[in-house]
Amino acid sequence: MVPMKIYTRSPTRKTGSNRSQPVASRLTRPAVALALMLSIAAGLSGCTAKLIGDYDDTFDQGITAVEQKTELYIAKLQSTPNTPFDQSFYDDITSRLAVLKTRAAALPKYDILIQQLANLQSQMADFQKLDQTSPRPISAAIVNDAKTELEVSFESILKLELALKRTGTTPSAAMAPAKAKK
Amino acid sequence: MDLNVESLAEQMLSAALPALKSGAEDAASFARTECTKMAQTLVDLNLQLASNQINQQQAALLLDMQKSAFRNVMLTLKGLDLLAVEAAINAALGVVATVVNTAVGFALL
Repeated sequence: MVPMKIYTRSPTRKTGSNRSQPVASRLTRPAVALALMLSIAAGLSGCTAKLIGDYDDTFDQGITAVEQKTELYIAKLQSTPNTPFDQSFYDDITSRLAVLKTRAAALPKYDILIQQLANLQSQMADFQKLDQTSPRPISAAIVNDAKTELEVSFESILKLELALKRTGTTPSAAMAPAKAKK
Repeated sequence: MDLNVESLAEQMLSAALPALKSGAEDAASFARTECTKMAQTLVDLNLQLASNQINQQQAALLLDMQKSAFRNVMLTLKGLDLLAVEAAINAALGVVATVVNTAVGFALL
């Protein structure tokens, strides 16, 4: 099988040999790979690559509200370890997360955030079991450990959501014609 | 107007690499911070279990919470990675848009 080569015409050579040089022999392999990748990306997405969904203010506010309510409940457990288990708190959080998951499912390219919400739901279920089965006063160690794990998840989700604002790399900014150097 | 592959590729690469580098630095900084927190929690769990502050069932639930947290950190890194690649592609196309559009005679890019 003969390997396929890509040839180009040299713009400066009008006479002489008709044989052109293979592009791959004159360019570095990463440059060729990059050019091909970009061509494909441009062709597939109308010249602007979009690999992950856009920032959603409602989703951002929803997650922030869940975090605030969780922090408040944990603060109560820390300051008053005899605070009884509160089923209404978990019912509220469960319904809020379900609504956010439904919204995320309706947004294009939100797969990663949907998975993150599922992980957060799993954490909340674990936290509920810990809270429900722990005698009062509840152990500070349990509350502090759970708080750390939940905060890591909230920070992760909000970090990604805020990054989706794409500051400075919005499609219009990225695709604007380059200014000529003076 | 003819387009020069080498020149275009060089411009595209120059525009793409800073976006990739910046994205990688941001992701590494985030990963370091979050992994440090989780490592501390693992150490704490071990100590709390040894000193009977928590029982095995509680330790298992807390470890499960930690696994979910770690998955969320990894998913954020995946998302940041996609954003960096996306920015690199758009920067690379943006930097050659004028010359390509002029050469083909219409707004291709």
